[in-house]
Amino acid sequence: MMRGRSAAPAEPEISPDATVSVAALEEVYKDCYDFESRDLHIGGDVRRKARLCFIDGLVSGSDVAEQVIKPLTDPERFGAVTDMKSVIAMLLGGSVYVYTAKSRTKLGELAEDLLNGFCALIFDAERTAVTFEVKSQQRRSVEAPKEEKVVKGAKDAFVETMKVNTTLVRRKLRNTHLKIRQYKLGSRADTAAALIYIEGFTNEGIVAEAERRLSGIRTEGALTSAVIEENIVDNPHSPFPQVISTERSDKFCMNILEGRVGILVDGLPLGFLAPGTFSQFMKVPEDHSGHFIVASALTLLRYFSVALTLLAPAFYVAVAMYHQEMIPTRLMQSMIEAKQQVPFPTAAEVIMMLLAFELLQEAGIRLPSPIGETVSIIGALIVGQSAVEASVVSPVVVVVIALAGIAGYTMPNQDMGSALRLCRFFLVLAAIGFGMFGVALGCAVLLYHLSSLESFGVPYMTPFAGGEGQHLSRALLRHSMTDKKDREPELKTGDGGEAKL
Amino acid sequence: MKKAVIFTLALTLALTGCSSGLTIFSNYRHLEMIELVRTVTVDSSEDGVTVGIYGTAGEEQEARMYEKSGPSIGVAMNELTLRPLGREAILSHTENMLIGEDLAKTRLDEVLDYVERFSEMRLDTGLLIVRDGTARDLVFGLAGEETPASDVVAGLDRNIARLGRGYVFSCREIAASLAQNGCALVQCVRGEEEEKLFEKRGDLNLAPAGMAVMRPDSTVGFLSDEETLGAMLILGKLRSCNLDVPVDDAVLTLSVDNVKSDIKPVFSKDGKLQRAEIKLSLEANLVSMDGLVDVRTRDVRERAEKALSDKVKSACDAAVRRGPALGFDFLDLGGILTRREPIAMEDMGVSWKEVFPSLPVEVEVESVLMRTYDIIDPPEISGREEGTPWEKLTDSLRDS
Repeated sequence: MMRGRSAAPAEPEISPDATVSVAALEEVYKDCYDFESRDLHIGGDVRRKARLCFIDGLVSGSDVAEQVIKPLTDPERFGAVTDMKSVIAMLLGGSVYVYTAKSRTKLGELAEDLLNGFCALIFDAERTAVTFEVKSQQRRSVEAPKEEKVVKGAKDAFVETMKVNTTLVRRKLRNTHLKIRQYKLGSRADTAAALIYIEGFTNEGIVAEAERRLSGIRTEGALTSAVIEENIVDNPHSPFPQVISTERSDKFCMNILEGRVGILVDGLPLGFLAPGTFSQFMKVPEDHSGHFIVASALTLLRYFSVALTLLAPAFYVAVAMYHQEMIPTRLMQSMIEAKQQVPFPTAAEVIMMLLAFELLQEAGIRLPSPIGETVSIIGALIVGQSAVEASVVSPVVVVVIALAGIAGYTMPNQDMGSALRLCRFFLVLAAIGFGMFGVALGCAVLLYHLSSLESFGVPYMTPFAGGEGQHLSRALLRHSMTDKKDREPELKTGDGGEAKL
Repeated sequence: MKKAVIFTLALTLALTGCSSGLTIFSNYRHLEMIELVRTVTVDSSEDGVTVGIYGTAGEEQEARMYEKSGPSIGVAMNELTLRPLGREAILSHTENMLIGEDLAKTRLDEVLDYVERFSEMRLDTGLLIVRDGTARDLVFGLAGEETPASDVVAGLDRNIARLGRGYVFSCREIAASLAQNGCALVQCVRGEEEEKLFEKRGDLNLAPAGMAVMRPDSTVGFLSDEETLGAMLILGKLRSCNLDVPVDDAVLTLSVDNVKSDIKPVFSKDGKLQRAEIKLSLEANLVSMDGLVDVRTRDVRERAEKALSDKVKSACDAAVRRGPALGFDFLDLGGILTRREPIAMEDMGVSWKEVFPSLPVEVEVESVLMRTYDIIDPPEISGREEGTPWEKLTDSLRDS
């Protein structure tokens, strides 16, 4: 049987009978205890009625009373106006003290406005309703970032309200070319998202690609960061982060100035930046606050930390199990001495310690702050020391795992830290199976994977691979602010890669 | 493509060897079951050779020695590494190998061959010949309750050059010298009974005993302490050592540093090799003084420098003379001169073997006494202005 395409049902319009329209709205918000409606007498005249509808909690009660009800029922203002068309014209013309007023003819628009913190006025004998923005101001105030510590820099972190976040960005980037495009994400939650870039400067290809990917997100609601990240990255199966997420508005703005596009989502106290390259995950805004030599040294330290956190346990396993000749004699003697009373093989020791470390970390994060800290201390000091004293693990293993763990914490981006932790396990398993061959193979596979990644058309490992080699020093070091500033060539910014000073 | 790369890499790994228990790679060793060998002894015996390994299972564990005999080093070592005491001996940390004089006289090549072929042994393992006894007895004598024999041997290895008594050549250096020059210098040691510095050390003390000039299968001869000193200075192995020199009624102990050796050939106009010139320049600093001389005065300093030069020259002359006397160019002068003037050496028309026994070798030594560490004898500083407060002070102290 052939099935024809059914025509989309026409969106219902506002009825000239206000009671019918309100009833339709009440049907839409059936079983919603926070939907409210009431009659108002325009200009105090009981013969001229309007119905006020709003969702309690989304609107500010005092604003509705002071800015809408009070002027609308004022006889001096509306007493002499007899026809509703004039009332509507006056309302849209500023006779009430609300800065945003919209004229609506469709019920669907009306219902959506109510969800966005508007109140609606529906008039008898009119097919037009007027909505006013009277959003509730109940939201978290701008505070210092909690996840990304600020040592020397701006302390205004993003909050859950997108408009506050766009304001923070606007205040830092006072540029008429800064564009903020809005999108709606989610078939059910209808979450607002904003794409931010500098017109004429940010590469148009990257902007277009970001637009395409944001528009293409298929989800019921963008309530978590993973919904955004996994829907817009090139390779969602890779554990490595491919967009930079930050709660710091200064970092967000600095990257917009570098030529990246930013994405803000209502309800998430985070900003997303694309393209995200490996070298960008090694940088923190403080690099631009301190002296460039110190900042360069710290950047190099972070790269060293990557190697340490990834390779230290695997290297230890390989050397202790297979390549004892690589260990200096004195250290070897200490290791053998410490291992005498330990009943488990080296591989089991390392795996056990790595798992214990992850368990402690997870427990520390999930528990409330004071208890979490106590658990960490108990785990690190008491359990660790007791394990050594009870000869369950040898001290060298504790030192190696602790070193690797601490090195992992130096990652500016915790997503990167988590990915490295995961890879650490695979490298340890490779080392257990094949020794140094396994470590080398694991590193080769890892590098192969990283080199094959792209973020919005930019090679992930640029400038180490796939980019222009002469910009290597910019990734590894922080140049002096007085030096000529070159941008990342892969971003292909509109100014040709040279900063306008 | 990805699958092909991964398959190839996995296949390569699979072909590296067979598995060992739970692990895939076959070189697995339990850390706690390792016997770490630091010293190996090899002596001749009725069966052929006796090999001893001297090792420990940990820093706090008592050092132990195991030995086995066999027709060859390899066979004896195999017996030892078959975990006779439940442990697996690993030889990769062997610092020094001591071989008895009897064995060295006839089977040095076999020792070197084993070190080079057995992948676990390191080529930079130091090789020493034990004179007047067996290596096994020496190690037993050296070992004390709190002083492992390995530490004593390693201590000698580190300090012998400082004392000016020799140099522990590695197996790689010895093998290379044998291959290139037909003979090699090997450090000799012997055990001496001396008063114990503390109770818990061994009965014997390890003492340097000059050097042996070795061929792969025979001993050419031995060098005295003086000849050893000269040879090491010429070869540039002693960059720093302490030497006593008499000046007037005192004996100065000088720390000789920064020794530079320059060896070059001198040819006649018709291209014949006339002589070899060895020029040594060295700097010395006063370490201690037995007796009393005023080292601040220029003439005493010059006498000290001359005494040092004479002593070094005497040692070098002795070493240079010893070569032709033994009939072997153990200093590898031929190689050094050829590397210095390859074309001229090639064109002289006579082989080095013919020239070497009668070639005059001139040794010239230039010594400079740098510092006496006397407060009124400051070091010379170039560019210093005349009449600075410091100079006035030292001048006044000198005058007083």
